Amino acid sequence: MRDAPLSESVWTLLNDALELYRDSRPATDRLRHHMNRFGEPLRIAVAGPWQSGKSTLVNALVGDEVAPIEAPGGQAVFAWYQDGTEPHAVAYPAGAELPVTRSTQGLRVDVGRWDPAPVNDLVVTWPSRALRHATVIDTPPVPSACDKILRDADAVLYLTRDGRGTDLHVLEWLQDGMVAKAAPVNALMVLSRADETGGGRIDALLAARQVARRHQRDPRISGLCLGVVAVGGLVALAGRVLTDTDFAALAALAGAPRTEVENHLLSTDRFTVAEFPAPVSVEVRRALLDRLGIFGVRLATTLIRTGTDTRAKLAAELVRRSGLAELREAVSRCFIDRRDALRARSALAALESVVLAEPRPGSDALLAELERVLAGAHDFRELRLLASLQGQRVAFEKELTGEARRLIGENGTGLAARLGVDQRATASELWRLSSAALGRWQEHSEDPLFDADQRRAAEVVVRTCEGLLYSLS
Amino acid sequence: MANAPTWLTVLDETARVCAAHGRTDLIQWVKQKRAQLVDPKLRVLVVGEPKQGKSQLVNALINAPVCPVGDGLTTAIPTVVRHAEEPISTVVEGSGRDTTYAEIGVPRGLLADGLVLIDTPGADGDDLRAAGNSVAAPARADVVIMVTDATRELSVTEVNLLLHVVRSHPQVVVALTKTDIAPHWRLVAERNRQHLASAGIAAPLVPVSATLRLAAARTNDKAINAESGFPDLVARLKQYLTAKNDVLAPSAVGVLTATVIEQLAAPLRAELSAKDSEEPMARLYEAQRTLDELRRCSTRWQNTLNDEMTDLMSDIEYDLRERTRQIMRKVDDAFDAADPLRTWEDYQQWLETSLTEVAESNFAWLLQRCDWISGRVADHFVRYEADVVPEWRVNMPDLTRHIGTIDQPNIERFSAVQKVFTGLRGSYGGLLMFGLATTLAGMPLINPISLGAGALFGGKTIRDEGKSLLRRRQALAKTASQRHIDDFFLRLNKECKDTARWVQRILRDHYTSVTEQLHDAIVHSLRNAKQAADADAAERNKRQMELQQQMRRLATLYEQARELTVRPEGHAVLEPVA
Repeated sequence: MRDAPLSESVWTLLNDALELYRDSRPATDRLRHHMNRFGEPLRIAVAGPWQSGKSTLVNALVGDEVAPIEAPGGQAVFAWYQDGTEPHAVAYPAGAELPVTRSTQGLRVDVGRWDPAPVNDLVVTWPSRALRHATVIDTPPVPSACDKILRDADAVLYLTRDGRGTDLHVLEWLQDGMVAKAAPVNALMVLSRADETGGGRIDALLAARQVARRHQRDPRISGLCLGVVAVGGLVALAGRVLTDTDFAALAALAGAPRTEVENHLLSTDRFTVAEFPAPVSVEVRRALLDRLGIFGVRLATTLIRTGTDTRAKLAAELVRRSGLAELREAVSRCFIDRRDALRARSALAALESVVLAEPRPGSDALLAELERVLAGAHDFRELRLLASLQGQRVAFEKELTGEARRLIGENGTGLAARLGVDQRATASELWRLSSAALGRWQEHSEDPLFDADQRRAAEVVVRTCEGLLYSLS
Repeated sequence: MANAPTWLTVLDETARVCAAHGRTDLIQWVKQKRAQLVDPKLRVLVVGEPKQGKSQLVNALINAPVCPVGDGLTTAIPTVVRHAEEPISTVVEGSGRDTTYAEIGVPRGLLADGLVLIDTPGADGDDLRAAGNSVAAPARADVVIMVTDATRELSVTEVNLLLHVVRSHPQVVVALTKTDIAPHWRLVAERNRQHLASAGIAAPLVPVSATLRLAAARTNDKAINAESGFPDLVARLKQYLTAKNDVLAPSAVGVLTATVIEQLAAPLRAELSAKDSEEPMARLYEAQRTLDELRRCSTRWQNTLNDEMTDLMSDIEYDLRERTRQIMRKVDDAFDAADPLRTWEDYQQWLETSLTEVAESNFAWLLQRCDWISGRVADHFVRYEADVVPEWRVNMPDLTRHIGTIDQPNIERFSAVQKVFTGLRGSYGGLLMFGLATTLAGMPLINPISLGAGALFGGKTIRDEGKSLLRRRQALAKTASQRHIDDFFLRLNKECKDTARWVQRILRDHYTSVTEQLHDAIVHSLRNAKQAADADAAERNKRQMELQQQMRRLATLYEQARELTVRPEGHAVLEPVA
């Protein structure tokens, strides 16, 4: 109901631009490309510094070992993973089809056929449910990849080990331009190597979750991204691709005398010594270490010992504990639910850069129109307010802030999520809650005790409530 | 202790040199270093990026949880851990955020030996560079342990951090932490050693695992302790401690002195290599160039003057001749028809007016040309920005004196007597001719017919005579005019040529004097410039001698410092433990 006008006005704007730039090939190409993107799945880039666990996370999201694809000569290649019926891979800009094989190890792309021509993008089609709503892009390390990420992705999962200052710089950098500043939030921060927190203690993931929560409360970070999620990438992936042999080996470890095994789990060196108390060969142990990490092995053996006794159960438990589910939930809430707004945002950003790159008579008017759409789109106003509330640039009392954030869709843009009730709530209950919220926030928006910023924020919430009632009627 | 004097002497000499150069900032630094080196304690600074396990490394080194470690906890201020009989902890408030630090005392054997450990906040970006004078400044430490974890290779920022530390510090150890959770830490260690070697950093790499060390402390397990890698690190630190005086201090002094000398020498070298002060020499060259230019200019204007004057004279003469010829032509035409006898008065007047006109316009043209030539010559002096066009003007002289008056030529008049006589003479022939003819017809000699014929002949003769007289008069008048105009031409031409020559002379004198003035001025400035350049060169030579002397002193000191750093026995002690 609210998305339609935004998409429409963006569509109109793109058409106007197309008319204005009809004689400029690069401009029309870009604009057309973005018009086509409206019908495609959302593009989520997995970005982050070197060795931050990007490929591991892509694998965990896809549910198969599809990444990384080693480019010859260490070329920086963007690997796109999209849903499809048959696995195949195409290298761009040459458009050459590369042979792929699917094995127990996951995807193998035959890089031998890689043409010496430069390859920027490798589009891999892979049948996976996880890719249905979103195309995932595995990117080279930032900051060198920033420009292309800015251009190609609708949303960004920013991976980091610890969310330090340099990461914030990159995040700021990813929000360059008028459009990005007007609708500042298309990123989620992921503490991607959560299993290494505190030296890989057994409660590392819980600790990492607390760190993530602390980061989320930090106004410097929450102003730049929609949320912070801790994920043990290796554990998550292991959970999704755990084989019976893996499970058998882990079960054998768990079956051996506990103190002795734990003594050997102190370090990776000790875990791979020749004399071992459990009947598991050195090679198998090495493989386990590569797949799960020392933390994963510790966690898995503990879980098996405490009653998670089948492969399926263990896999589910690993996934649950890794934080992958939370990440998926966050992606779905922040990105997939708002995909129209995000795609509109990308299109507007592209339009902005086209106009700025080729100014001509009429482009000023276009820019003004773009600004009007940006300022008028309620989705963006919601996103902006959400960012200000999270960044504490605007603040009410605690409960009020919480309610405002919920209403403007922090927890999801569905009616129930906005109103903070169960999915099964009846229409009449939703109606009652919506009108109550509308009344309350109308009062807030006229409350003389609030300052101008707060009243303006309240007006945005009022508009949201009106939208809710409209969709119910 | 045997070597103590050498490095102390060098250090004190460095301080003196700094004082001689007036670099109080450096003196302070040297003094601080001296105090630190004389102190038998070994200050070990632990640096690295955030979340690499720096605090945990300190804790594991002394087997006590002195530095807070934890998930998401970050060391906020530098923590100094030293020996104390009873565990104590204080926060030392500094003047600002940079100088505030925590001080913790714990009873530990390792610390009692004289080891001081300094845990620092993670260097996120450029923090360490800004550490300045705080306890966390690498310049105030004897050994720096750079902490990097084994889950990944050294990053570019870490290598930059190391390079920064190495610059002010000779002894750096890289600790590769968290080897217990990294299956491939041996590979990472090998790669890191390559990175260090390619960056030119001579720092040993020690793989350690704080987790194992603490586990070993709990269970008192020697084997695990050995596996943790800490005994190696501790042994290394102990070695540095005992070798501080013999090895660390000299090499620290070596590096310090070298750095100080670099800083002192840089401005000197810059001054030495600076090109001769440009200004005086440039002025000299400029003056010389101007002089040459003036010489060329002088030749040029003289040529111009001569050429133009020659042209002028020939042009003026031609013009004059042309004009007089035209008058002559008119005179000829006039006297072909007119009788000088009747028109002389008018003619005389007309000729006078015409000649005056000719003289005036010719002379006016001459004066115009002279002015123009003067301007042309003055153009050569434009660059000197002097107003050199002479003030003087040639006035139009009285030209009428050249014209004179034309005398009426001696003209024969045809008087009445002459006419009668001429008539009679003519009539005689006719009378006789016709008289004789008529006598044949029987008429007397004198008869009406012969009389008539005589009268007819007489009349004709008178008319003929009159005509020839007129022609003679006209010829005479023409000749007289011709002569008059020639005279006029001669006189006026002479006057013009004289005037032109006079103008030429005047102009020549004028511009010669202008050139001389300019020349004098330029020579004067040239002399000044030369003097300035000479004085400058002398001054520079003196300064150069001074600088060279200072450089020699620095070089000696530098040599001493170098000897301190490369003493072979020093290296023998720094070999890694087995």
